[in-house]
Parts: sequence; structure tokens; C-alpha cells
Amino acid sequence: MIKSLKPITKWSGKVAVAAAVLAGAAAPAVAAEIVVIVNPKNPATRMFSEQAAQFFVGKSALFTPIEHTEGPLRTEFSQKVLGKDISQVKAAWSKLVFTGKGNAPKEYASSADVRKAVAADVNAIGYIEKSAVDDSVKVILTVQ
Amino acid sequence: MRFRLTLLSAALTGAALTPTTYAADWPAVTISGFGTLAATSTDTDKAEFIRPNQSAGAKKDWRTGVDSNFGLQATAKATDTLSFTVQGLVRKNPVDDVGAELAWAFAKWKATDDLNFRVGRIGVPVYMISDFRQVGYANTMIRPPAEVYRQVSGDYFDGADLVWQPTFGDTTLTVQFGGGHTRQKLVGNYIEYHPVLSLHVVAENGPFTLRFGRANAKFSITGSAALTGLGTTLRAAGLAAVADQIRISDVDGSFTSFGGTMDWKNIVLQGEYAMRRTDTRLVMHTNSWYVMGGYRFGKVLPYYYHGNIDQKSIRTMPGMPTTGPAAPLTAAVNGAIRAAIQKSNAIGVRWDFRDSMALKVQWDRIEPKEGAGAFIKPAPGFTGPVNVYAAGIDFVF
Repeated sequence: MIKSLKPITKWSGKVAVAAAVLAGAAAPAVAAEIVVIVNPKNPATRMFSEQAAQFFVGKSALFTPIEHTEGPLRTEFSQKVLGKDISQVKAAWSKLVFTGKGNAPKEYASSADVRKAVAADVNAIGYIEKSAVDDSVKVILTVQ
Repeated sequence: MRFRLTLLSAALTGAALTPTTYAADWPAVTISGFGTLAATSTDTDKAEFIRPNQSAGAKKDWRTGVDSNFGLQATAKATDTLSFTVQGLVRKNPVDDVGAELAWAFAKWKATDDLNFRVGRIGVPVYMISDFRQVGYANTMIRPPAEVYRQVSGDYFDGADLVWQPTFGDTTLTVQFGGGHTRQKLVGNYIEYHPVLSLHVVAENGPFTLRFGRANAKFSITGSAALTGLGTTLRAAGLAAVADQIRISDVDGSFTSFGGTMDWKNIVLQGEYAMRRTDTRLVMHTNSWYVMGGYRFGKVLPYYYHGNIDQKSIRTMPGMPTTGPAAPLTAAVNGAIRAAIQKSNAIGVRWDFRDSMALKVQWDRIEPKEGAGAFIKPAPGFTGPVNVYAAGIDFVF
């Protein structure tokens, strides 16, 4: 277990996984591949992780981010793409919301619901499990 | 953010429970809120610890009033480019009641993707975290840094501003420029700005932000029989030259500040340097600064804080008698031109223990300099240092 010898930067992930396990959620750290999706009418065809991230932390309002409620999928996306813990992301949004500079993303409980929301809004950007993708949305990034 | 206080929000929204946005055809209204439930105490009964602009504070007994607050915000989106935002804030106010105030109420017009105009009641961004200093959840520490954040009274103006947010490569710039008038209740008097102009510039690049702020105001202090009487007494005593130096009407003032933050890997840093200058000795020239550093262990973030404020204008009025019948007048003048100066060290921890909630515990050690510092109602001989203990829960919904 070489990885466990580099604990500091990995702690948040481990805490989250431990919390998930303790909470009885059957959620291994990497359950499924995550893809970032937009509306098919969105002209974007490909996006870097850093570009996608700016919408989910409120740095760009060009696209409207659609979020998941707290859970393993959001935890993984936050850490891999946003480089932050969910609570950090929420704290960042609260700075924008309560100064009238932005509206926090709507949250949905499942990939199917997020897909539906993205399919319904030309400006929307979301992320879902790859297995939930269908023709109603366009994949622009596969999270590594 | 999801509803947390379901009972409260149900009451507020007529029991529409599911999402924060519930769409009637027009307009879409979003309700959100924040708050802090905290208790504060100190190790002395000889003076009271307050946040700026409170008239009663904490002593040895634990009090919830000092660091607790609650804010509720509604945003209505009329069209894609026009929205209305109203925010109410409840906290311990200058007359020691828990009072509600209208903190924000503005119409926002999104002219382009980068440029917004706002008209109405708008927070005046004199400090780096002015706009969200009441939102505990958005901040690392349990309260705004006392040394810097007590220098300018008046949290908002009624006027207009523009917010321009261009992007240059990886750097996002925020330029906020606005102005307006305001009259706000302080302890024992009112502060009026007519007007105040403020500029707030933030450059953000990845984990780093740099910030510059400048506010200029023409201000008056009104409603204070004590200050008006002091001026009158001085003139009657033939000390018009002294009275001129402690004017309270149509005074020019400025506030200049620099700051920055870093949230890199797990290291969190924040700091500011700020200078207050005015044309009256009653609102003293002060320089202040603070640094805060923390390290994030997952959801637990311990931090250390150091802050300092010094006075740059004179603390003793020259040319006044120190003995004889006028000595009490001299003492009154000197008392009025002395700023609350102090330094403090604090350690604390923020723990994001559950969704949209954070628990904070903070221990400040405050050392007043030449007097009682920012403590109020000091007993004779009070000097400090004072230990201040606080614990609280911040939430957003």
C-alpha cells in the first residue's frame, strides 16, 4: 500500500470514503466513469477539466452548472475535477449567493435527473455516470 | 443548496418543500439563507467583548448574542438579464436588541456576460470580505478579523454600482465601483455618508487572489448630544481651534486596503493591510493588518490568526490645560481622539461536520494597547490581556 504512505493530500478522499462506508453506502472510491455533458445544441465539442471546473465553482457564468446532491459521485467529481472538498465548493458558492453575484447550482439526486435537466436547458452543463448517457445529451469530457 | 431548516423554510415558502427554486411562470424565486449559532465568553468581568457596533458584549458568562446571526435572501429572476435580490439580516444591534435590518435590496441588470449594473441597497465593499463577512459558512474564522474590520462603520449604501468581471487567460478580474448615500445607527449616534464612493478590485488566479480597495466619503456623525456638546463647550471656552479639529459634519475620509488569499493544496492563507484617514481627529488615523494561516486535514481546518491596529494621529490634544478647572474638558477631548488600539492572537478550528454546516471553535487572546482596546464598559484599571472563547455552528441553505 504505497499510496497510504502519502497521506496528507489524500486525507480528504479517505475521510470521504470512510464516511461513505460508515454511512452504509455501498460506494467504492471509483464506482463508475464520470462524463461531463452539455445540451446537444451547445456548440462546445470538447473541454478540458479546468474549463469544466470553472462553471461548477462559479468562476464563469457562461454555462449553467447542474449539480448532484451530496454523495459518492459528487465527492469524486469535486476532488478530481474541482480539486476541492464538497464543503469548500459550497463555501465558495455561498460567497457568490449571499452577495447577489450568483445562484448556486440546482441539485438532483440521480444521473438520470441531471441528464434530464441538461437536456432541457441549452446552457446547462452537468456530469453523470457514463452508463447513464443517451442521445439527449452530448459528452464533452471524460473524467480521468 | 438544499433546504436544511425544513420547518422554517416550510413556514416561509408555504410548505413548498422540494427544491430551493420553485417555478411559477414568472418570476422564478430562489430562497436561500445563512446563519451562525454561537456562544461567546471571556475570562474577565472587567470589560465586555463585542463585535463592532454592539452595545453589550460577553464577559465570563456565556452569551449567544455576540457571534450569532441569521440571514435570509430571496432572488427573483424577471428575465434572463434582470433580477431582484433582497436580503434581511438579524443580529445583535447597537441598542442591544436582536434587530432585523435590510442588508441588501437591489435590481441587477446583466448588460453582458462580464458586466452587471445594480441599483438599490448594496453592501459597500470597504474590506476584502465585506460582502460576505456575516456569512460564517463562507469564512474560515468564527468572526471577521476584529482589528481591521472595525474601522469603517456603515455596511451598505443606497445607490448604484457596476461589477465588471473580465477574464485574461487564467486570471479573472472583478472590478466593482459604486456609490451612494446612507444613514446608519451606531452606538450613541448615527453615521451618514453623503456620499460614499468605493472601488473594489480582485484578481483571481487558481488558488490565489489579490485585492485592492479604496473608499472615499463625505460623512457626518449625527444624533450625538455628547459630541455636539463637546464642540460647543470648547468654543465657549475660547478653544475654537481645538473644536475645529474634532468636527463631526461634512468630514472627508478615506479607507485604503490591500489583501490576498491563498487556498493551495491544503494550505489556507488570508491577510489584509488597511489605512483609515479622515479630516477630523474624532475618527482617528489608523493602520491595521492581520494574517491568518490554516491547514486543511480533510474536513478539519485548524488555523492561527494575528491582528494589529495602531493609531497614526495624535492621542493627546496639544495646547490644552492639564490642571485647573478646564482639566476635565482636556480629558474629554483626549478621550474622544484616542482610537481603540490592540493586538490579538487566536487559534481555532473549522470542522465541516455535515452537509452545509460547519462547527467552529476559536480562542482569542486580545491585548489592548494604552487603554481598553475595542472592549467596552471597562472597569477602572482594566488593561487586559483578555482571553475570548467562542464556539458556534454556521449553516447555509
